[in-house]
Amino acid sequence: MTKVFVSAVVDAPIDQVWGKVRDFNGLPQWHPRFSRSHIEDGLPSDCIGCVRNFDIAGGGGTIRERLLTLSDLDHTFTYCILTSPLPVEGYVATLKLFPVTVGNKTLGVWTAEFRVTNGKEADVVEAVGNGTFGKAFEVLNEFFASRR
Amino acid sequence: MAKVYRSAVIDAPADVVWTYVRDFNALPKWHPAIATSEIEGGLPSDRVGCVRRFTRRSDGGLLRERLLALSDADRTFTYNILISPMPVANYVATMRFTPITAGNKTFAEWWAEFDVTSGPEQVTVTDIGDNVFVAGFASINSKLAKH
Repeated sequence: MTKVFVSAVVDAPIDQVWGKVRDFNGLPQWHPRFSRSHIEDGLPSDCIGCVRNFDIAGGGGTIRERLLTLSDLDHTFTYCILTSPLPVEGYVATLKLFPVTVGNKTLGVWTAEFRVTNGKEADVVEAVGNGTFGKAFEVLNEFFASRR
Repeated sequence: MAKVYRSAVIDAPADVVWTYVRDFNALPKWHPAIATSEIEGGLPSDRVGCVRRFTRRSDGGLLRERLLALSDADRTFTYNILISPMPVANYVATMRFTPITAGNKTFAEWWAEFDVTSGPEQVTVTDIGDNVFVAGFASINSKLAKH
């Protein structure tokens, strides 16, 4: 089992960061690595069990992921990959936000566990860890910095 | 039941911070409000169940706290108060340290639940949150910060 753990401080209050990332259908609106998304079967994007169907930008293929848990209390959600161009299986990931009370900021922690089915494990870890999770925290910081 | 939660970024790697603070007998080393500390009965300070007996710098006030849980895997420990000059009862607190991979820093959390036995609840909550927890973070950061 491969594990990825990426964490970063986002310089905005937790309610603002959570408001930005909570929408399971909203990833392409703020993450440049992804484009187009819809929730299958017309379900609300905060309905546990719903499936988001979205594209990797630049023709990288389609990913389908199922929402497994969502907590407004703990500012966290968990999802699994159903189909993906990535050579992974058993992929489960969690995004969780924590308040940084000193300075009124947010800590984002994004973790994933999966098995690599093909190719180099380090390449997959890089694509998931820095390419997706790390990039997400970077663009969130840029977004909130641009609003100040 | 009153609850207090404080968290901060410490500009040092999580393993460095954890090595520094996991010693249940080390409060005088890093907390500016604490003068002396010993573990009762000569027990190791990482033996779950041990009691630290320590005094406040301001007034010599005595506190006894029991280590309830300690995890190197999760970089966290939990303790409760047995005796304290503070107006609290049923006090249980936890410290936890999480790596911040962006910048190789540490996210430090400290929280507690307790009953306030005299005086305005908010006064005690703010006192513990700011003068104990945040002051502790600031001191750890000043001793370990890379920059």
